[in-house]
Amino acid sequence: MKTIGEICSLSELKIGQTAVVKSINITNKNVKRHLLDMGLTKGTKVSIKKIAPMGDPIDILLRGYELAIRKADLKQIEVEVIQ
Amino acid sequence: MKVGLVGNQNSGKTTLFNCLTGMNAKIGNWPGVTIEKKVGTIKGTKHEITDLPGIYSLSPYSAEEEVSRNFVFNENPDVIINIVDATCLERSLFLTTQLLESNCKVIVALNMADKLEEKGLSIDEKKMEEMLGAKVIKISALKEIGIEELIKEINKPLKSKQNKVIPQYLSKDYELEKYEEIVNQKYSFISKVVENCIKKKIKPEAISDKLDKILLNRWLAFPIFIIIMFLIYYLSVGIVGSFTVDLVGDSIGSFGEYIGKLMQNLGASEWVNSLVVDGIIAGVGAVLGFVPQLIILFTCISLLETTGYMSRISLLLDKIFRKIGLSGKSLIPFIVGSGCSVPGIMGTRIIENEDERKMTTILTPFIPCSAKLPIIALFAGYFFPNSSGIASSSLYFFAIVVIIISALIMKKFVFKHTSNTYISELPEYKLPSAKYILKDVFDKVMAFIKRAGTTILLCSIIVWFLLSFSFKMEYGVDIEESILAGIGTKISWAFKPILGENSWEATVSALQGLVAKEQVVSSMAVINGLAEDASQGSQIFASERSIWFLHSIISICFYGI
Ligand SMILES: Nc1nc2c(ncn2[C@@H]2O[C@H](COP(=O)(O)OP(=O)(O)OP(=O)(O)O)[C@@H](O)[C@H]2O)c(=O)[nH]1
Ligand SMILES: [Mg+2]
Repeated sequence: MKTIGEICSLSELKIGQTAVVKSINITNKNVKRHLLDMGLTKGTKVSIKKIAPMGDPIDILLRGYELAIRKADLKQIEVEVIQ
Repeated sequence: MKVGLVGNQNSGKTTLFNCLTGMNAKIGNWPGVTIEKKVGTIKGTKHEITDLPGIYSLSPYSAEEEVSRNFVFNENPDVIINIVDATCLERSLFLTTQLLESNCKVIVALNMADKLEEKGLSIDEKKMEEMLGAKVIKISALKEIGIEELIKEINKPLKSKQNKVIPQYLSKDYELEKYEEIVNQKYSFISKVVENCIKKKIKPEAISDKLDKILLNRWLAFPIFIIIMFLIYYLSVGIVGSFTVDLVGDSIGSFGEYIGKLMQNLGASEWVNSLVVDGIIAGVGAVLGFVPQLIILFTCISLLETTGYMSRISLLLDKIFRKIGLSGKSLIPFIVGSGCSVPGIMGTRIIENEDERKMTTILTPFIPCSAKLPIIALFAGYFFPNSSGIASSSLYFFAIVVIIISALIMKKFVFKHTSNTYISELPEYKLPSAKYILKDVFDKVMAFIKRAGTTILLCSIIVWFLLSFSFKMEYGVDIEESILAGIGTKISWAFKPILGENSWEATVSALQGLVAKEQVVSSMAVINGLAEDASQGSQIFASERSIWFLHSIISICFYGI
């Protein structure tokens, strides 16, 4: 389990943990822009809400709504754990 | 006046569109239901209103989003109603800030206001109006609250119409870094708006989360999913299905006899009598007998679509589907396709990745659609009289096996480069509107009946004619000497490999299945009705055993193409 203050990728968090987005390193330009549009920007608070029964995709809570994303994409989002 | 409905996916645009126009366009509780623009007129006014696909941003991302973007910038709307899901303001206002830059007259409609209290939220719309510089109205498209005020606001005369501007960062050749910077600025403005206009009480755990603890539970999710899907098809194809097979045999038969006697008493000639009883009633009746089944199937699909369970299924199966080169989102077209392949195929547009989308498009027709349902039920009843329910619902699982194998082959040889993204909002569960479901099922069943009344009626008459007359145009010949038997025998060699034997009856009905699948049942009924001895009829069914699978799985109807 990642501890508070630790920098890691969003895919490494457990259910219920909260973190702040540090950088989005997704290489596909379209995907990155889509995530930005949907409010996944630097400084956004995100928490892990649900995990699909087979462990992937992961459902994250941000800006008051839920977004399901595959682990492979979450790996490329760097966050700082705050809770 | 030209009015457009612009907003995020799943924010209730189509629900509002239906409410304003009285139409019944397709609604569903998953992102990306509407994929084409739809035009209507606001009741009681002359305003033209356009429902558009949902978008999160005016920057071009996918083809459907291009439709909405194009509407805003190039189709010169007078008023844009920006539908905002009030329970999810922060993300939704991003699009609002972009729309406000475009110089249109924008009315912000805070939809789902009926859910605010339940979520412990209260919104100060006057304050919001001030900060955004646009009219803000709370509405509920589902409960039809605030609609009058909205129409009043639309009716207000325009000041001067200004030219639209496309901000530089929204053009096609933007720089991602610059874009990110602007997005950051916009979201920090939005955070301020939200901070000032929304009050949040601490709320108890949402019902959706409680439900998901069960429906997305690691151990329970799959069994529940399989039980639900099995029940749907078992109920509609199996139980109600075998019931209707009897109905086809008995009531349509006795109805035909009754009409036949009636006409005889009225002095109708023998061939007219035969046309009505053996041709029209037997043919069309056989197909209409399946209406109860269709009602059940369409209701179940409509419920899956509107409650929000569809998004869970997609999440549930994404990992498996990815392995065979598809996406969890492929499941939505498959399930919709079990009603009819056409909307199923249209629905594939929600899949971002091109390879995944193409594969899903090719595979959707493999799912037995409702038009094949009569065939499935009829033959299951003949082959497995004691377990027809199980037999016909297991056909759906057989279809899934076929899909998996074909997908694997395609992945191996055709679509080799599948990248992997799956980004989808997970909507909350919602209680659907009974009125919408009733209308939706009614529309689909009526469409089916209309076909029974036109295409199938015509085909039944033609089949009857070809069966009752010989090449010499004599009426009342033995069925073996009829025109159809003649044609069928000539070409039955071509079907021998699939049918297993030379049978003109089966050949004819197999050919017709290509035009419209329901027709198979209907022409079987006509041929059967005219065949003099029963053994001739059952022989047809015996040889059709192999095309049962063929028809159910492979064939695509012309409507589909
Ligand atoms: N509680 C509540 N639910 C609503 C309201 N308006 C719409 N819904 C529900 O929200 C879901 C989405 O509605 P749609 O009208 O299909 O949304 P849309 O904006 O057209 O979605 P896309 O076509 O996918 O972009 C459906 O389940 C509706 O029943 C509302 O005012 N209150
Ligand atoms: Mg819609």
